[in-house]
This record gives sequence, C-alpha cells and structure tokens, in this order.
Amino acid sequence: MAITKVAVIGSGVMGGGIAAHVANAGLPVVLLDIVPPGAKNRNIVAEEAIERLLKTDPAPLMHRDFARRITPCNLEDHLALLAECDWIVEAVLERLDVKHATYAKIDAARKPGSIVSSNTSTIPLRDLVGAMPERFQRDFLITHFFNPPRYMRLLEIVKGPNTRADAVQAIDEFCDLRLGKGVIHARDTPGFIANRIGGMWIQSALQAAFDLGLSIEEADAIMGRPFGMPRTGIFGLLDLVGIDLTPQVAASMQRTLPKDDPYIRLYKERPLIARMIAEGYTGRKGKGGFYRMTRTETGRVREAIDLATGQYRPVAEPTLASIAERKPDVLLRHGDRGGQYARRVLAQTLAYAAALVPEIADDIVAVDEAMRWGYTWKYGPFELIDEIGADAVITLLEGEKIAVPPLLRQAAGKSFYRTSAGRLEYLAVDGAYVRVKRRPGVLLLADIKRKSKPLARNGSASLWDVGDRVLCLEFHSKMNAIDPDIVFMLGKGLDTVKKSNGAFKAMVVYNEAENFSVGANVGLALFAANVALWPFIEEGEAAGQNAYKDVKYAPFPVLSAPSGMALGGGCEILLHSAAVQAHAESYIGLVETGVGLVPGWGGCKELLTRQVANKKRPGGPMPPLMQAFEAIALAKVSRSAAEAGDMLMLRESDGITMNRDRLLADAKAKALALAKDYQPPKPAPLNLPGPTGAAALKLGVTELVHQGKATAYDAVVAERLAEVLSGGDTDMTLETSEDQLLALERRAFQSLIREPKTLARIEHMLETGKPLRN
Amino acid sequence: MTTYKAPLREYRFILQELFDIGELAKLPGYADATPDVFEQVLEEAAKLCEEVLFPLNRSGDEEGCAFENGVVRTPKGFKEAYNLFREGGWTALSCDPDYGGQGLPHTLQFFVEEMVSSSNMSFGMYPGLSRGAYSAIWRHASPAQKRKFLPHLVDGSWSGTMCLTEPQCGTDLGQIRTRAEPAGADGVYKITGTKIFISAGEHDLTGNIVHLVLARIVGAPAGIRGISLLIVPKFLVKEDGTVGPRNGVRCGSIEHKMGIKGSATCVINFEDAEGYLVGEAHKGMRAMFTMMNGARLGVGLQGLALGETAYQTARQYAQERLQGRALKGDKFPDKPADPIIVHPDVRRMLLTMKAYTEGARALAGWVSLALDRAERHPDAETREEAEDFVGLMTPIIKAMLTDNAFAATNMGVQVFGGHGYIREWGMEQLVRDCRITMLYEGANGIQALDLVGRKMPMHNGRLLRRFFHPVDAWLRQRQEKPELQEFVAPVMKAFGRLQQVTALLAQKGMADPDEAGAAASEYLRAFGLVAMAYLWARIAEIALAKAGGDERLFYKGKLATARFYMARVLPETNALFANIAAGAEPLMELEAEAF
Repeated sequence: MAITKVAVIGSGVMGGGIAAHVANAGLPVVLLDIVPPGAKNRNIVAEEAIERLLKTDPAPLMHRDFARRITPCNLEDHLALLAECDWIVEAVLERLDVKHATYAKIDAARKPGSIVSSNTSTIPLRDLVGAMPERFQRDFLITHFFNPPRYMRLLEIVKGPNTRADAVQAIDEFCDLRLGKGVIHARDTPGFIANRIGGMWIQSALQAAFDLGLSIEEADAIMGRPFGMPRTGIFGLLDLVGIDLTPQVAASMQRTLPKDDPYIRLYKERPLIARMIAEGYTGRKGKGGFYRMTRTETGRVREAIDLATGQYRPVAEPTLASIAERKPDVLLRHGDRGGQYARRVLAQTLAYAAALVPEIADDIVAVDEAMRWGYTWKYGPFELIDEIGADAVITLLEGEKIAVPPLLRQAAGKSFYRTSAGRLEYLAVDGAYVRVKRRPGVLLLADIKRKSKPLARNGSASLWDVGDRVLCLEFHSKMNAIDPDIVFMLGKGLDTVKKSNGAFKAMVVYNEAENFSVGANVGLALFAANVALWPFIEEGEAAGQNAYKDVKYAPFPVLSAPSGMALGGGCEILLHSAAVQAHAESYIGLVETGVGLVPGWGGCKELLTRQVANKKRPGGPMPPLMQAFEAIALAKVSRSAAEAGDMLMLRESDGITMNRDRLLADAKAKALALAKDYQPPKPAPLNLPGPTGAAALKLGVTELVHQGKATAYDAVVAERLAEVLSGGDTDMTLETSEDQLLALERRAFQSLIREPKTLARIEHMLETGKPLRN
Repeated sequence: MTTYKAPLREYRFILQELFDIGELAKLPGYADATPDVFEQVLEEAAKLCEEVLFPLNRSGDEEGCAFENGVVRTPKGFKEAYNLFREGGWTALSCDPDYGGQGLPHTLQFFVEEMVSSSNMSFGMYPGLSRGAYSAIWRHASPAQKRKFLPHLVDGSWSGTMCLTEPQCGTDLGQIRTRAEPAGADGVYKITGTKIFISAGEHDLTGNIVHLVLARIVGAPAGIRGISLLIVPKFLVKEDGTVGPRNGVRCGSIEHKMGIKGSATCVINFEDAEGYLVGEAHKGMRAMFTMMNGARLGVGLQGLALGETAYQTARQYAQERLQGRALKGDKFPDKPADPIIVHPDVRRMLLTMKAYTEGARALAGWVSLALDRAERHPDAETREEAEDFVGLMTPIIKAMLTDNAFAATNMGVQVFGGHGYIREWGMEQLVRDCRITMLYEGANGIQALDLVGRKMPMHNGRLLRRFFHPVDAWLRQRQEKPELQEFVAPVMKAFGRLQQVTALLAQKGMADPDEAGAAASEYLRAFGLVAMAYLWARIAEIALAKAGGDERLFYKGKLATARFYMARVLPETNALFANIAAGAEPLMELEAEAF
C-alpha cells in the first residue's frame, strides 16, 4: 500500500523531528498535540513545535519551506484528519495510560487499513496494544527512531504477533526508500537492540569510571576514539542527550529485565548524578553537565566535574600513557588504569552483546548495524571484536571473570566476518558462515571492491567497473581532497570510457567515504607556495581546469553522486557534470574565499553560467553576477541537497536519493538513462558587464568592510572575485568565452596564492579546520 | 704555531655592508646597540681573545684537565683567564639587564663567541654552557628561581651545565632514568641518577655550578612526555643568596677525549640531590629545546671559528713556505723556491676554506639578526617570521657549518704537508677539536632529520617560506642584470632544483619516512650550499660595486671567492640531488644480518 500522507501525534523533540523528516521526504504531515487548558490558540503546542524545528541546529528540516508541509493540529478538533492518513505515528509521553488513551482516539478516527506505529523506546509492544482490538493490533507496530530523526540513520521496527506482514513491509519500504533510514527488525525485548547494548555500554563506562577512579576526561579519551566510538566518550554523550535520561532508562530496564540480567546487576545509583539532576545540571540543555563552560576573568573556560568530589575544575588534558596507544589491542593490554578501564568496559559490553544474539536480533549483522547507525560507532560490537581479535576478546573476558558467551566461543580462532569468494560473510548462530544479504536495489561499492579489481588505481583514486557498462571513479585520498593523482585518474577515466568501444557508456563519480570531497588539496598548494614553486601551482590549476572541462564536454554523460561534503574543487566537479544524483545529506558549496582564494577550476565560470541561464531570475546584467558573487564571496554551503537547489548548485533535473546505500544504484540508473542519445552541451559564451559590474560589486564589499562585517583582506579577495565574475576587460556588447573566464580565474587565483594572508588562511584551515578571519 | 687575528674587517663587512645592523638599534631595548658600539665591543673582545685566550690554546691541549678525588683542575692559566673574561663583563654581554646583563644583541654575542672559539674552543665551553643554562632559566623558570640563579650566571661567578645524556640514552631522551622524587615542599625534588658527557660539569673556575637536569618525576608517563627539567646546584643556595652546603652532586670521572682537552667532560652522579622544577612537570623537553637550539647555533659558530683559525694559519704558511716551483715556471726567481700558494691545488684548498668560512659567517649573520628580531621586534608577525627562519636554519647552521669546518681544518693540515701532522704546529689540534662539533648537541645526522622530519613539514612548510620567498624575490629582481648573471644564473638553477627536491621529498617522506631519512643528510647539505650560494651572490653584488675603491684587494678577494664558489663548490649540489633522487632503496635493501 502507498503511504502518501502521515500523521504524527505528539510534537515533542521526537514527534517534531519525525514530522520534519517525513516532510523532508516530500509528504504532507499532520502534527497533532494536546490543547493546553484554557488556550486561546488551540494548535499552540504543535505550532510552537514547528517554530522550534526552524530554530533547531542542526536543522531537522532540509529546507525551511518544508515546514509548510507540516499542518499543526490538536487532538480535540482535528482527529478527523487521521482518516486521510496512511500512517499514524504516535510519539506521546512514555506513559502507558497516555498511550492507551491515544490509541483509543486514533482507532476511532483512522481509516481502515491505515498503519499505526509507536515511537516508544521503553514500553513492550504487548503492553501497548495487548488490550486493543485485534483489528488495531494487526495494523500496529513499533517504529523506533533515534534522535535526531533526520540525522540518525537507525530505525528499529518491532512487530507484534498479530501485525500484518504487509503493514510491516509497507513501513519498512517507506522508511528505507523515502526516509532513507537503515531499517533493522528487532524483537519485542527491552530496549530493543541499540539501547539495550548502548545502555549497557554507558552504564558500564559510567560505573567503571567511578570505581576505578578515572577522571571523566580520561574515561572519555579511552572509551571513545580509540575504539571508533563517538569522540565525546560517554560523559560527553550523556551531556548531549541529557543526564536525566539515565535514571529513566534504568527504571524502565529494571521494570522489564530479569533480575539476573548483567545490566541490572551492574546498575548502581550514584548520588552525584542524582544531585546533578536535582540541581538542574542535566547536560547541555541544563546548567551544564559533566562538562560545562564557565566565564572567568581570563575568558571562557571548559570545566569538568570531579567524580570523587562533585566539584568542577578546569578540563585537564589526560596524561595516561595508555591514551597515547592508538591501537585498540595495545591499549587493552596496558597496565595503567586507562587500560584497566578499557578492559572492564569492553569486556562487559562485548560479552553482553554476544550473549544477546539471537535473543534480541536474528543475527550479528543486525546488531552491528544498529550500533553503527544508532550510536555512531565506527564498528559494531562484533566488528569491534574482529578488530581486536576474537581470541584476544575471549582472553579479555576470562581475565575479567566474565563467562564467555557461546557465540563468542564459536568465533574462537576465527572471526565474525570474512570475505569468501569475493563476498562478505558473517558467522551465524549455528557456527556456519552465511553471506551478508543486501536489500534489493542496494548497490555498494564496498561489495564491488570485494569481488573485483580496479581497472586503474593510484594513491588517491581508482576506477571500477560497477556493471551495466558504467565506470565508477572513486576518490580515496585523505578526506578525498583533490590532488594531481585524482585529476590524473579523472582524465584516465574519461579516456577509458571514450576508448572502450561502447563497453562503457557513462562514468559515475562516487565514493563511500563520509565526505564526497572536501575540495582541492590546499595543503599541497600551500607547501608549493611556501617553497615558491609557482610553476607547480600554475600547472596544477591549468590541469584541473582542463580535466573539468573535459568532464563537461565528454561525448558521454559523467554523473556525480555526492554524499556529505562536496566543497570547493569537489563542488566544481558537480558543476561540470552532465547530471548529479545527490544524497539528501549533501553539503555543497564553493568555499575557496574562506582560505583567501577564488574557485579556480571553473567554479566561478559554471556557477555564473547557471545564474545567467536561470529563467526565474530578475532581468538586467547585475542580478546573476550578484547571486554568484554572494554565494562564492560568503563561501555559502548548502545544509542539504534541497538547499543546494536554491543555490543552483543542483539543477531541477538532478536527482536526490534519501538512502545512502541506494545512491550508487540511483546514480547508475540516471547515468544510463542519460546515455541514450546523449549530446554534450554546447559552449555558451556570456555577455558580462566588465569593469562597471566589478565596480558595483566592489562597492558592496566596501560597505561591508565599513560595517565591520568583512575584513580588509576579505575585500581584497572579493575584489579579485568581482573581476572574474564581471568578465574582466569587457562590456555587455561583447561575448566572453569560457576560456577567457578560465584565464580570469587563473589570474585571480595565482595573484591570491602569492599573498601572505592567503597562505596564513590556508595554514589555519589545515591546522584547526576553521577559517581565519585575517 | 697557529696564527689568529680577529677578522674585524670581515665583521664590518657582514654587519654593515651585507646586512644592516642599523636595524638592531631600532628594536626595543637595543637603543645602545649602534654600529659604533658593535665596533668597540668587537675590538675589545679581539684583544682579549688574541692576547689572553689564544696563547692558552696549545698548552691547554697538551695539559688537559686533571681529575682527582672528585675535583677537576682546568689547565694552567684557565682560571686567571676566566677571571679576566668575567671581570671584562663578557659573561653578561647579551644577558637581561634586570639580572645584571648588558642587554646587547645576540648578533654581537655570536661574533664574540666566534672569536673566543677561534682562539681557544676548550675555554669557550665553560661560558658557553653557562649561557645555555642562563637562557633556559631566563625563559622558563619562575621569578624566584630567576632572582636566585640568574645574577650569578650573568656575572660569571657561577657557571651552568646541561645534563641530558645518560649511559643508556643520548639521542633518545625518552629513555632517561634519572629520577626525581617529590621532597615535601612544592616544586622541590630529590634527584638520583647518573649523567654522562657533561661539559663543564665540574671545574675550578667558579664558586658554584648550576646543573640543568632532565629527569623523570616518579609516576611520570613513559617516554619523552614524562621528562621534567630541574635546577640542581652543586652547592645549595641559602636564603640570603650565598652559597651553602654541598648538594648531592659529585663528579665521578672525566672523559679522555680526542679533542677539546681543556674542557672537562664529566660523569656526574646525583644522589638525593635537591632540585627545583623548572616550568611544568613532564614538560621539560620544551625548556630543553631552548637550551638546545641556542647550543646548536653555538656549535655551528664553533665550526666557523675553527675554520677561520685553520684558514688564517694555512694562508700564512702557504704564502711563506718556499718549496718547488710553479707549474708554469718560476714566479719568484729571486727566491730559492716559490711559495706553495702558486700551486692550483693549494689554492683549491685555501679558496675552499675561505669560501666555507666567509660564507658561514654570512649565514650566521643572517640568522643572528633574525634571532634578535624574533626576540625583540614589536610586530608579532615579524617575530613569527624571524622565529620560523631561525628554527629552519638552526639544523643547517649546526650541521653544515661543522661539516665544512672539519673539511677546512683537515685541508689546513694538508696545506702544511707532513708538518700538519706534528703537534707543535697546532694544525692537528684544530682537526681534533673540530671533530666533536659534528657530534654533540645532536649529531649531524639528527640535524638532518630535524630539518626534513620536523622543520620541513611544520605548518605545511611555513618555515621554508622564510627562506624560499626572499631568495626567490631577490633572484627574480636580478634576472635581467647582465653583470650579475655569472652569480645569479647558477644560484637560480640550484635554487630551482632545491625547490623541486623539497616538494618531492615532502610528498615522498609523508608516504614513507625512510625516504625522508635516506635523503636527509644530503638534503640538508644541498640546502645549506644553496643558501650559501645566495649569500655569495649577494656578496658579489656588493663587491662588484666597490671593486674599484680603496680596498681593491679585499673586494677582489670577495669576487674571486664568489666565482670560485659558483664554479667549484655549488656544483656539489648536482651530486647531492642525484643521491637524493636515488631514494631509500640502495640504503635499505640489505638486511641487517648481511652487513
């Protein structure tokens, strides 16, 4: 059945976030909440929730306009609207009586066959709907989103004994394809998968820090990055999610778990935490948490709480020798209290996870995915065991006097995952290796890489045959920064398709790193500039311009498929592509001015060309210039693929994919569709205003400098940019060719890279990751 | 006998013609450091060096230091000479006036140190080490510690040392075992351990010795991040600042060495010695680097100094020694034979020595002016630039100047023929004394790693900018001047290759550290030779303008040496670049067991 309209009941953080994300998927949403006693505006609660959505950072909405897709309603006047909805999500208070009352209302108003789900994280499904009519039970399931729903990939689905299979199927598909979630089917057990194991991890790490006398900085430095867990560590994480959540989760676990569950045995109330919650120190949302920022005479100071005394003191860089150990296995053997801490927490957490399969999940793959997607672990628990070594983990458990679960015992001398005949396999409960199945329509480069060899490869990029006559160019340099090796491989990829006699019809630029590309390798450029190796920089710029031009005019379509950041040189490749299939979470922009440069690989030219061609723009020579100028001078970056459309970084004909795992398949399909009767674009010279236009743009910059909104050097950079965008020495009666614009880009870029202030900006960006306003 | 006359004309050339020390007097606190003051001070120093220190050089070498019952006796005359040195205010020259110093620039200090080492390197070790201790305390210690120790180091009544090396660790200071146990009061520790190779560790020149000791506080993290710096005086200092009872510091023995025999190189045993933490616990390496960087520049100057003495002596000998005839016929038919300076090969050696020594002095002047700027300039960006430059050039000054000096002193022996091998002539002492400069304060191979592994990648090559940009600009401005092409063209070519090699090495080194390590020594030398070539080109430009004036021979000497450098020294870079291009493979192929 098709889901075309959705209702969300309860407009708190989760309800609001879910509603926003359904809106992100393009659907109309009805958001219902109570009418506060005596309220004049009976929709006030839901309306305020939508206002909050627009103010929250990071934004729950992918575009401000999407808020209009959400209709604020109340549970007294608008229940009839439920009859229009195919899916009704309940996200009200975690109280059984409230939920029961809500379900009664829903059931009375909904249309037959509509699906109802609860976002509960603590109440078993049987308690939720056990007393409801079977009709309701058949249409009911749990859809457990993680906070914030737009950004956290995990969605746990729990069905009841009576839930219709096609209802589960419909929600599964909708959440996967339309919401882009990583859907995991869990059982009706306490905490489902992620919170069960994550809760244990947090408790274990919390209790062990108290017991072993670690400072919170030490604990977070150990139980974080070294094991691919969030850098915040657990104390930083608790500050983020709210410390008051801890006793709530514990209480629900205590209600639902057997007394001999390791979590229950481990849990201890800590007076310090009770006191912090009572006094409002609940984390970032409160007065502070385990960490806080304090103003002192010397400025803002980050402080940490001392677990022993309960007093705040300035954060201290942890000096434990074990922290310096980068390898998890070495850290785990370390003799100091850091090593001891790591041993205890990991032993407890990993043993717990291993003991819970198949009780809470069908297989280890589901558990690993749940922890990666729901807790942003780099490795799920079983992948982490493989990283450390199954035998080492068994020894670790024995050392900590924890019984080794049978599943882990089974992995002795082996690993939980292996590659066999080019396929990824996992160790099933029965001890056999089983192939990891992908959902239909999911195509992962990682899988292709397992079973084939690249057609070409260098230190920064590779070419892969991704099937159906599509060639894939993969970046794999550090942060996918574009360097001469990538530019070379780009040319080689184009050549490969051209000379393939039809064996390849299109090229897709795609990779599976966190970011598509953070831009050109400015570190290399900075080093070359520092040793005054100007010809190298000049040649590098020219080579990039030529390669990107070749992308644009290739006799076959080149399609780029970004996810995450596509900045600077990474953005410029999108601008030159025949089409783009972007992951919804794509952050696109020309950010060169942040490091004191202008886009030099055709970015100025392409964005300007798009602005000039934009049919919706106001007339006259200046508006397109102003638009391009503003986007580049302010180094604007879209916060989603949807926003990138506003900036013309994406065209209406470009596609957006919600689910990260489906991006390559979508990109391939789009590329193949384009390849039929493909005609490369024709060069389109522009009529640009020349010096008068540049002068107008500069005037605006001067004003910003006067107002203190731009530095004098910002103005220098902006002036170089203005000279490029206005077409140099020309006027509206003359045509400016692409090559002339490229020459202007080169002139501006080469003059700026010789400026000490630009070099200082690049250096600062490389060393701190932040722009320098000099 | 060796000859030494302080090269005052050379100093004037470097300080007033090649560079402009006029800029120093404009820096805050340096108002007194006018060119006139420089001249007067250098003249005074020259007198002391020529008349007091130089005559003790040979005798000091013959006699060496004596060790008996834990007491070290310096060679005869050293104590009297030290008293004159101290009373002349030479220990206070560039020290902070707040502690009794004269507050004069490092640049001046540099050239005074050169003269001291030229005349008597062993003697120079004692005040040299004190200066290292002074800088570390001045920069990193607490105000109370400064008040307690600095005035005595400044007036020379006490001396200082740097206690780093232990029997099991030299280069790898992470292995330090000397232990510091908290002893009640804040910042007070009991130090126990053995340090070796401690120059000026024990002697009879001063009333107290202030040891700066690297040690590990009990419970500190392993490795380099657990090292702390402590002040450990030989005699405890009473509240009123006078010397009190003996601390638990004893000299166990002194080393018998190849050279610098007048300098006491001691084994120092610390036994529950009272010590005072300098700066933060476990952050001792930072303070140590202050001492080390100063010391490394100082060692480079020692090299320059010995090269100067070797050159002066060999020059005189070559002009006076009559032996055989010139290859193209008699030059001095009225004499029984021609002086050996008529021979091309003797000239090759003398010119190499001259090119090395004068080029080194120009390099030292360039860096010393930056050092003063780094410390005093009111503008933060200028300070950063200067600091970068000093950091970049320090390993080059240390390693290339001492490598060159060893070659120069060795050529000095060669010019003397068999007489060079005879002790009486003093030439072999210069070789022996010079040999240590390539080893201590970080062996020259370590300097090369410092350049390639630390200084080069630091801030993505920002330190390199401080060299490459001014040189690039200077060369470009002179590209079109025909009269300069014989100098500018070869420098440009070598500079261009250095740029290429630098970028290549940065890339290769990131991927494979062995590649950086394999190229390091040759890269440092190539860098140094190009830097020197640039300075010789600048010298030539000045000399060209003045060659017709009163000092015709002086400037002709500069021009001819610049030509010699371009034609016969700089081409060494061709071989160095070829070696670098060969990569690590030829060095790493053979397994250790197969050697």
